[in-house]
Amino acid sequence: MAEQHMAANSAPTEASAEEARLAAFQARIDAGEKIEPGDWMPSEYRRQLIRMISQHAHSEWVGMLPEGEWIASAPSLRRKLILIAKVQDEAGHGQYLYHAAETLGATREEMVDALLEGRAKYSSVFNYPTLNWADVGMIGWLVDGAAIKNQVMLAGASYGPYSRAMVRICAEETFHHKQGQEMIRRYAQGTPQQRQMAQDALDRWWWPAMMMLGPHDSDSPNTPQLKRWGVKIKTNDEVRQEFLDEHAPELIEAGLKIPDPDLRFDEASGHWVHGPIDWDEFWNVVKGNGPCNAERLAARRQAHDDGRWVREAMAAHAARQAPPASARAPRTGASA
Amino acid sequence: MSAAEKPLTGADTQWPRWEVLKKDSERKPHQAVGSVHAADAVHALLMARTVFARRPAAVSMWVAPAASIHAFTAEELTQVPAHSEAEGGELSRYLVVVKSTNRRSMTFGDLKGEVEASSVRAALDLALELAGEEPVLALWLVEAGSVVRSEPDDADPWFGPAQDKTYKQQSVYSSRATASKDAAEGVPR
Repeated sequence: MAEQHMAANSAPTEASAEEARLAAFQARIDAGEKIEPGDWMPSEYRRQLIRMISQHAHSEWVGMLPEGEWIASAPSLRRKLILIAKVQDEAGHGQYLYHAAETLGATREEMVDALLEGRAKYSSVFNYPTLNWADVGMIGWLVDGAAIKNQVMLAGASYGPYSRAMVRICAEETFHHKQGQEMIRRYAQGTPQQRQMAQDALDRWWWPAMMMLGPHDSDSPNTPQLKRWGVKIKTNDEVRQEFLDEHAPELIEAGLKIPDPDLRFDEASGHWVHGPIDWDEFWNVVKGNGPCNAERLAARRQAHDDGRWVREAMAAHAARQAPPASARAPRTGASA
Repeated sequence: MSAAEKPLTGADTQWPRWEVLKKDSERKPHQAVGSVHAADAVHALLMARTVFARRPAAVSMWVAPAASIHAFTAEELTQVPAHSEAEGGELSRYLVVVKSTNRRSMTFGDLKGEVEASSVRAALDLALELAGEEPVLALWLVEAGSVVRSEPDDADPWFGPAQDKTYKQQSVYSSRATASKDAAEGVPR
């Protein structure tokens, strides 16, 4: 025994050093510290964060597509300005998130390639079509409403860059939610045709919005570890409950009928209770077989290809600047 | 196929990263808000404006190439070796950005000022002095010579238009009661 112990001498030391580092890392999280780029972190913490943040970034980018289709058909200048600003925000939010993932060692190229080649996941909800104008409002109210619940939770995440991106996004995205809510409330009180349009949009978006908050906790194997690491503060079902408790009474008050025959308010718990979610549909969409998966990816690829000449021009322009001076070329003269 | 296996073309190669410092108002310091990728300095400044100033609350914006930033983590700051006065050569200026809190925030840290030193190591001592009693949870020394800044005259054309785009503010949207009232009064949809 003694010999064996001698032979394997270095291994236990390394193992205990690793354990000590893990314990110190957990202590930082438990003390409410933010983990910052360059700090030591378990490789699984890094891997999970890159997975979550890059999927989140892709969702922002793909999320531009269902609504972007309606910009040219907006019914008034005001609605058009709002929609342009909203879609532009989603582009910006993708930028914040790709940046956050890059601080963990992922590169923009790898992430964009993974999306364009169909290897990356993004939120299943953006694979549904926007069939009428009220869908734009319903996406704002329900999809952004659900996203905000999730993002407010993630704003408390232990990884500094992710948390900061979420704080910035929530501050901007509340407008997305409000404009959708305002639009749908007005249609729900409008002409019979407008009311029908709003109800039709709710019928189609209710379940995708409920699903987008992710599988039940019993089917989320990563959640317990992510909670211990302070990456998630709440579980999928907890966030879904918050979404339901806020939105169910508001939709009903607006005069709309939620397409869930089992939906009820439970006096005892003070919470709304929903009927069974069709997870077969959810997984089918996640696996690429939703109504618009192929169309969304084709649109992203086309946007990437159409932008190629711009990137080539930018690269050619940059190359023409003298390399060392390029960083301070045109506007450095006056420093504040 | 990983990125490494793909032939890299100029158009699809990741551009250098630039960190962005934004000043929200005359009373606030420049703050590190995030980064952009850009082919050159002007491109970086334009990207920074598009990504980080779609809303009001900006009077000045600076960008610095990531390669010109010397970043120190909390752990590194506790293990700084003593430096000898003899080292170093010419004096260089560095901007000092400090993260001093774990509170929920949309910025990494604040600009504390500028130091001039003959080495990064010497600059770090001056930077820590500059931070004073405040906790230093992370610190950047940004080579001041590589920072590209918006001009005071840029503020109005760059950041002014966002002021009028009130539809981007959540506060302009009706509460429940006024939504019904607006609808009843036929407020245009």
